[in-house]
Amino acid sequence: MSLLDIDERILQVVELVDLRATPITDLKEPDEDGVTVGILEGGINNTYNEEIAKKMRERCKILVALGDCAVFGGVPAMRNFVGADAALQRAYVEAESNDSEGKIPSSPELAQMTRVRAVSEVVPVDLFIPGCPPDADVIFYALVELAQGRIPEIKNKNLHWH
Amino acid sequence: MIKLTIDGKEIEAQEGTTVLEAAEAAGVFVPTLCHHPQLTPYGGCRLCMVEVEGAGTLQPSCTLPATNGMAVKTNTQKVLDARKFVLTLIFSERNHFCMYCQVSGGDCELQNRAYDEGMTHWDLQPNWQPFEVDASHPFMVLDNNRCILCRRCVRACGELVGNYTLGFEERGADSLLVADYNVPFGESSCISCGTCVQICPTGAIIDRQSAYQGKETEVDHHIGVCVECSVGCQRDVLTRDNRLIRIEGEWDAVLNHGLLCDKGRFLPLEDDRARLLTPLVRKDGSLKAATWDDAMKAIAEGLGKGKGLAAIASTRLPIEDLALFKSVFADALQAGLVTTLEEGKATASLAKMAEKLGKPFESNLDVLKDTDAVLSLELDLVDEHQVAGFFVKRQIADGTKLVVADGKGNKLAENASFKLDLKAGDENAFLAKLYEATQNETGDEDFDKAAKLLKNAKKPVIVYGEGFAAHADEKALETLLEISESLGAELVGVKGNANSMAASQLGLEAPIKVNGHKSAFVMLGDEEPSQKLVKQLEEVPFVVALSAYGSQLTGNADVVLPVTMWAEQSGTYMNMDGRMQKAVQALEIPEGVLTSRETLLKISESLSIETDADWKTKVTSRTPTVEIKEV
Ligand code: SF4
Ligand code: SF4
Ligand code: SF4
Ligand code: SF4
Ligand code: FES
Repeated sequence: MSLLDIDERILQVVELVDLRATPITDLKEPDEDGVTVGILEGGINNTYNEEIAKKMRERCKILVALGDCAVFGGVPAMRNFVGADAALQRAYVEAESNDSEGKIPSSPELAQMTRVRAVSEVVPVDLFIPGCPPDADVIFYALVELAQGRIPEIKNKNLHWH
Repeated sequence: MIKLTIDGKEIEAQEGTTVLEAAEAAGVFVPTLCHHPQLTPYGGCRLCMVEVEGAGTLQPSCTLPATNGMAVKTNTQKVLDARKFVLTLIFSERNHFCMYCQVSGGDCELQNRAYDEGMTHWDLQPNWQPFEVDASHPFMVLDNNRCILCRRCVRACGELVGNYTLGFEERGADSLLVADYNVPFGESSCISCGTCVQICPTGAIIDRQSAYQGKETEVDHHIGVCVECSVGCQRDVLTRDNRLIRIEGEWDAVLNHGLLCDKGRFLPLEDDRARLLTPLVRKDGSLKAATWDDAMKAIAEGLGKGKGLAAIASTRLPIEDLALFKSVFADALQAGLVTTLEEGKATASLAKMAEKLGKPFESNLDVLKDTDAVLSLELDLVDEHQVAGFFVKRQIADGTKLVVADGKGNKLAENASFKLDLKAGDENAFLAKLYEATQNETGDEDFDKAAKLLKNAKKPVIVYGEGFAAHADEKALETLLEISESLGAELVGVKGNANSMAASQLGLEAPIKVNGHKSAFVMLGDEEPSQKLVKQLEEVPFVVALSAYGSQLTGNADVVLPVTMWAEQSGTYMNMDGRMQKAVQALEIPEGVLTSRETLLKISESLSIETDADWKTKVTSRTPTVEIKEV
């Protein structure tokens, strides 16, 4: 979502690229015959995230991890300190906002929770753009560079995790 | 001098310097983490590695002595790779998810060093071992999850403060920073000097008062002298949007080299006394808000002059204010009593001795930093003038011996080789006996042993405070001088408040005796008046109080003028050393409030008094107990 922080500059980016798939367009997944750049936000928290990451890796020449969650695991990774079960128990049963009926959802259709991982723990990543949230100017700079076939340099004033 | 090359640059260095120091002197930046200029090199983190020609492996520059002909490289690929590797290991050892860390975004040395190396990420995940957070201390939070095991805090608490509160339990990845034998930090032997929180490079020790209040990039700095006691430590007052954020010790200060005590660091931010923001004038029996003009009129009518007037000032105020105060009340109004709240207790007898000798007889505070035997007379450096106490305490592990002479509970005595009984009022007999013990044996075993210890010392120091100075008469001081001469001991008088010595130099040190005074002028500044003074002033028909805060004294006064507190004023202070240092204004002055100096000028104007602004000559003309230095 930080992508939208670049505001109207997103129009300049769209002009430079052929936008294939995003979670909010009709096409949710990159074309099977591959795209140049793929950007992943968020850490790898469950089996579904794993699948996506692998698919993205297969189909994108350059895979970008955007934001601290994708780069390091981020805030959701806090649950690794207590384990997935304890985190679910706390969220669905014990939390003050739950009523006495609170229970952990257990549909077979739901993805399996895993340890929260950085994207790079699951698939190789080509470019890391950390930040919590990543800075709009840095995102814009990186996208424009990528769109013009260059690998952006994330350093000095463009480098901060938080 | 030795010669070596660093990154191809030929440089000269003193023998005994480390490669890191040589590199720094040559303007070459080598990243460090466990190293701190005020601590003995430790060589724990390995971030400072450099390539040395002829050496098989990379060497930690912070512990490596520079030698003649050495060729050092600080920026080869091998070095850069090693740095990233070292940082990766440190990051993956504990929880370094910066997005929920207090120091992230400029105040963390670990993060800053990683940014310097252009690390967008690291390749090892942490081992997800949580450690308990200890928030039991009133001023600091200890969070082992962010600790990088650099031991800077442990070393600082021991090497610099001499308190040895912090230490590590367990080993390797399980290493746990603990207070004492793993008791809650807030219940430990910690004396809240805050050196550990200031020296910690990460978010493992957090300052509660300033947490989330502003980062280095958002604060303003105001470097000046601490006004909480006569040690005169240099400190940095951090503010943001006209709010006090935090106080830090100045690492570069020759006197305190970064150290502060709780009084200088934490307590000023805890002050919650009710602030006075408007003049008050007593009308029909009760104090009512008034304009400055009304207040001036009331003063002109009631203050009077001559014998019936008593004037008392706080020694927390700048010299400029005290000198002006003297010029108004002693010179112009010829008041019967012109003195300070301190009443010269910590200085008067000593100042008289200096006048009699015609020269200073005390030494600089620095002698306490390098001594092998200290005799402390009626002074507890654990309770007061604490940073001077740190200088002594931290040498005890290296063999410095301590003799504590006091008649009451004294925490410094816990470290003493000998504790001698010295009751207030017995100074003459005590010193005579001690002198005897330095010449012959007295038969009193403790005295004889203590005297022998001091006699055998190479650099003995005798240090005394208000308790001693207030009771010692001329004879006692003469004996003290004889003892110091026969032992070759330096004398250090710690004085009292921040401008105790300056007040003495101005001759403002008479005891407060209220007998038949018709009016009193009390210039409190931000000092809390004693119960004794409140009582004494109850007898005085007309009292004017200058004060930043409301108190029983201001409640009883007839005219109250709201003045600035320490952070809102600037001025000069003379510490126990005779060192003149500046205090600097850190906060804006609230509307309707004046500095004590401005208030004095306003009063002088309304009374048509000529004042004299030259304070320097006045404060230096009397023979001082210790040489006066302008810094
Ligand atoms: S201590 Fe430094 S590196 Fe660790 S989480 Fe805090 S800001 Fe990040
Ligand atoms: S505050 Fe001072 S005494 Fe307390 S642990 Fe830290 S360094 Fe030691
Ligand atoms: S608490 Fe801070 S200073 Fe102490 S060892 Fe840990 S990181 Fe170093
Ligand atoms: S020793 Fe005195 S001058 Fe130093 S920090 Fe403490 S109160 Fe301030
Ligand atoms: S700075 Fe040299 S080893 Fe840590």
